[in-house]
Amino acid sequence: MAGHIPLQQTPTTIKVTTVSQEPKAIRWTLTFIALAFLALFLVLPLVTIFITAFQKGWETYVAAITHPDALSAIKLTLLVVLITVPLNAIFGVMAAWAITKFQFKGKNILITIIDLPFAISPVIAGLVFILLFGAQGLFGEWLFEHDLKIVFALPGIVLATIFVTLPFVARELIPLMQAQGTAEEEASLTLGASGFKTFLLVTLPNIKWGLLYGLILCNARAIGEFGAVSVVSGHIRGMTNTMPLHIEILYNEYQFSAAFAVASLMSVLAIITLIVKNLIEWKAKHT
Amino acid sequence: MNILPVRKRKRRNIIPGFGLSLGYTMLYVSILVLLPLSMVFINTTTMNWSEFIETITDERVVASYKLSFGTALAAGILNVIFGTIIAWVLVRYPFPGKRIVDGLVDLPFALPTAVAGIALTTLYAPQGWVGQFFDFKIAFTPLGIIIALTFIGLPFVVRTVQPVLQNFNGEVEEASASLGANRLQTFIKVILPELIPAILTGFSLAFARALGEYGSVVFIAGNMPMKTEITPLIIMTKLEQYDYAGATAIATVMLVVSFLLLFIINMIQWVTNRKFLHS
Amino acid sequence: MSIQIQNVSKAFGSFQALDRINIDIQTGELVALLGPSGSGKTSLLRIIAGLEELDQGAILFDGKDITDVNPKERNVGFVFQHYALFRHMTVFDNVAYGLKVRPRKTRPSKADIQKKVTELLKLVKLENFADRYPSQLSGGQRQRVALARALAVEPKVLLLDEPFGALDAKVRKDLRRWLRKLHDDFHITSIFVTHDQEEALDVADRIVVMNNGKIEQIGSPEEVYDHPNSPFVYDFLGNVNLFKGRIQNGKLKHGSFEADIPELFSQNHEEAIGYVRPHDIQIEKTKISEDAVHTTISHIHIIGPIVQIELKRTDAEEFLEAEVTKEHYHSLQLKVGEQVYVRPKQLKVFIPEDFSI
Repeated sequence: MAGHIPLQQTPTTIKVTTVSQEPKAIRWTLTFIALAFLALFLVLPLVTIFITAFQKGWETYVAAITHPDALSAIKLTLLVVLITVPLNAIFGVMAAWAITKFQFKGKNILITIIDLPFAISPVIAGLVFILLFGAQGLFGEWLFEHDLKIVFALPGIVLATIFVTLPFVARELIPLMQAQGTAEEEASLTLGASGFKTFLLVTLPNIKWGLLYGLILCNARAIGEFGAVSVVSGHIRGMTNTMPLHIEILYNEYQFSAAFAVASLMSVLAIITLIVKNLIEWKAKHT
Repeated sequence: MNILPVRKRKRRNIIPGFGLSLGYTMLYVSILVLLPLSMVFINTTTMNWSEFIETITDERVVASYKLSFGTALAAGILNVIFGTIIAWVLVRYPFPGKRIVDGLVDLPFALPTAVAGIALTTLYAPQGWVGQFFDFKIAFTPLGIIIALTFIGLPFVVRTVQPVLQNFNGEVEEASASLGANRLQTFIKVILPELIPAILTGFSLAFARALGEYGSVVFIAGNMPMKTEITPLIIMTKLEQYDYAGATAIATVMLVVSFLLLFIINMIQWVTNRKFLHS
Repeated sequence: MSIQIQNVSKAFGSFQALDRINIDIQTGELVALLGPSGSGKTSLLRIIAGLEELDQGAILFDGKDITDVNPKERNVGFVFQHYALFRHMTVFDNVAYGLKVRPRKTRPSKADIQKKVTELLKLVKLENFADRYPSQLSGGQRQRVALARALAVEPKVLLLDEPFGALDAKVRKDLRRWLRKLHDDFHITSIFVTHDQEEALDVADRIVVMNNGKIEQIGSPEEVYDHPNSPFVYDFLGNVNLFKGRIQNGKLKHGSFEADIPELFSQNHEEAIGYVRPHDIQIEKTKISEDAVHTTISHIHIIGPIVQIELKRTDAEEFLEAEVTKEHYHSLQLKVGEQVYVRPKQLKVFIPEDFSI
């Protein structure tokens, strides 16, 4: 489903024999088109971010990323990620275990439900939590009476982020565990291992790369989620602004260099994500 | 045939953890997905029918549907064309730095949408590095929205077509060539039919993502009512005006479209699987 | 350990995989479950291991009902069809697994585990492969690791699912003999599933022939091969020639063919089928008895020491197959196109209604 990149893609050139080879001119033209398109759409924006970030010099850059508002946005983003990613990882493993190791009715419906957040606009993902916990929401009055704040506070941001990133780990593990089948678990059980030991010693090592891969994707999306968080955060500076929201505010206030400075930090994270992702793919292929 | 007394047995699973894992999964999706989503439909019922119709067919809202749909469609088509070429080149042609280029394709999945949004806006603004070379405006027009959506959807087609090309049986191409087909005929008659399900899946995924996209678009769109205001932005605006009912009504329309798309994507995959299982 | 399988039935949805199966297996026996795919043999093996639930019936180990005991406590060694080796563990760790996962109280010491695993690896001739991963081994080596792993927990019962199914012909034969020898040394009650009749005949003490979830015949290899009690067993174990005809006054008649069937004396049946093994077909140059049929040799295949001869009946559009030794073939001096008489040395007749349900 949307946003799902299956593990194990390798940029290897397949063997092409002379009969299944295009003329040189066509090969070069196609390669040029592909690279030009990627340069225009991917490389150029990335370069822009770093150049704009340093346009006003190193001092401005450092000032932008060490500004108290920026620091608190970084802290909040990290906090959200630290809560969201482990929760969705546990969920992903549980869901994949239930779906791939057992037969039950309604399995396909469950898979579709897990896919839903990928298909839904992030703005709606935020909206639903306003409808639940906002002042006029279903639990709004009750929360107000008990002096609890969900929307326009950390819990709301966490909920919206969980919603948006919910499918990543599960979606990565389901096909992987499906392909691995249940034979190794059965072997472990006949050898006298308990269910928990079987999971820990047999299943977990088998899915570790897939799990890590799902975690990386989940993590990247959790850090960068904008639409859903934008709806539920309330944009309170230094309080409920995550890094993407902080960038938006700076940008709208025409503090371009500062906005791009924070953006460059996030771009570095994105590049690290891509590198780690490729390392995992390589590892998964070579073990 | 004499019937033996049947000793009824309680079914149990050999592999442990069924109750726990399924129970946890159901609870998690119920609280975090189903309950919140059902709120959209429940809240819609607070409006009466004519109010609902009026809200979702408001001139400005209809203009946003057209814009969102049109730009998502255009971006999807661009992605089909260029995504297929990129996948083809990555699988078939050797060139230096291919590993890096291949890794870079996933950048739109890794880069926060807001970051992409401000970067693209800066590039394609009238005075921007790219924008300055054009007589017409790119950013702050539907064209800018198409560019942002193309960026967001780029990996989908590439990543669905790539594995199919990778696993493509070269013998079939050789067979086609040995039967006298030229390269173009082989591509159109032998290779392309195999790619079409993957291309369609990639297109639907990119299209679905583009319809709901917000972060990268708000910066480059300019957000002028009737002209460059996408549907998710209308929901956002209504929320900022505390018009929850209005926001919810439009969200309902978007949700229905999302469900439909999800259904179509599953159908494509179901039909393809069936086709391959039977051959 | 002896095993009693009592009245076991199992259905998957509307498909009856096993239908009231009863087998008694003695301590130390090596039994083959033989049948085509879908005959229920693998389901039965998995039920014995506790990997599958049964719908009805009971499994007894040494007279004790273990139907509700889960696989972890049954103390069976199970060798999976595709070995199910733990792919992220070395050969050593695979074999040691069953010992390492024991609760602390019953777990052997590290040194003991080391000793035991080394012993087992020596037994399966893989002592030099301890540090390899399953993906670095050949099929036959994986099979032996799977076996060593199952033996490490000192099971009372060894269950093997198509143990040689995925191996090539040469390796299969070696491993087959080796398994037989291993069984003779250890005397663990063993059951293996196979669809290969040759394998079952070669290795097992007793063969259980299964078809459509039911037992067709149980017996020693000689018994089931020489005295099949149903057309299915005849067909499934080895090649067979059919004489489809009718029974008149205790004689099977088909075209010019007539044979006395003493056990059906003075009976009449519209339909009957006579079964003859190719090696029970006698080729003669002249007609010396009523039960000889006139045929033309259509093909001669010389396969090593034996010769297969395809014969076309003159009185019917049917072909027969005979198998003779090379010596006999040379002494007869047979040629393609030659006309000869063919006589069944041993003929078993089944009346269709006897075995139809």
